[in-house]
Amino acid sequence: MTAVQPEPRRLLASFTVASREGVERLALRRVSRALPPELLSGEQQERLQTAVAEATMNAIEHGNRGVARVPVQIQVFHSPGEVVVSISDQGGAPAEVKGPEPDLELKLIGEQPPRGWGLFLIRHMVDQMDVTTDGARHTVWLTMRTGAGA
Amino acid sequence: MEENFSVEIRSAAGAVVLGLRGDVDGRSSELGRAYDRATREQPEGEVILDFADVEYINSSGIALIVSVLARARAAGRHVVALGLSAHYRQIFEITRLSDFIELRSGPGEGEGAQADGRRPAAAEE
Repeated sequence: MTAVQPEPRRLLASFTVASREGVERLALRRVSRALPPELLSGEQQERLQTAVAEATMNAIEHGNRGVARVPVQIQVFHSPGEVVVSISDQGGAPAEVKGPEPDLELKLIGEQPPRGWGLFLIRHMVDQMDVTTDGARHTVWLTMRTGAGA
Repeated sequence: MEENFSVEIRSAAGAVVLGLRGDVDGRSSELGRAYDRATREQPEGEVILDFADVEYINSSGIALIVSVLARARAAGRHVVALGLSAHYRQIFEITRLSDFIELRSGPGEGEGAQADGRRPAAAEE
């Protein structure tokens, strides 16, 4: 009997964007273009786009501290049952990871700043979020399940 | 990157309407200024944020909406969001903005819609 090897993870796209405000729109468009339309439903695509945009903004602001010449690397992978997008900066663990969970009621009475929704949105948009750090390289992994696992 | 946001102020059926156009993100601070201007000129009635011409909202845009909502609540004004897509309605629910902002689907549910569903002629600033 021959053992069936699992299909390897396939790289669909790999690109970098400069650490400048607003480039997250470019990032989400490129991720969207890299994905065959049958992989994710329209709703899943919108959720992934929001997560990619927020993770890219975090990488720019908190990781690369807005230094335009330091790139954010984005990679899109597909393996059976899931799509994974990785977003890497050069800032180690960003400070926002340690920030409080946003509480709208506290924000409305001025007890929390209005900002601080980025990670909260990412966690709610994707099926899984993982964070790895390798020296200065900090990577957020966004996973969306496809097919029956979605 | 170029700024891609504008606000049109109009009034309808006793409400002040902020018609947002473009991307609601960190470069959309005009939203706060427009809110102040509009509510100064029309100090009573509900405040309608019309998102029908908005394509993109990010977390910085959510923060701007939170700031506007805080000011409206402090002034005792009811806030309505009109024309949000299903995706952004979901985000308003996740963030609990929908606990404090009434979500309406379109002009048929607000802004003094006409019987044929068309928007009435807006009274400009």
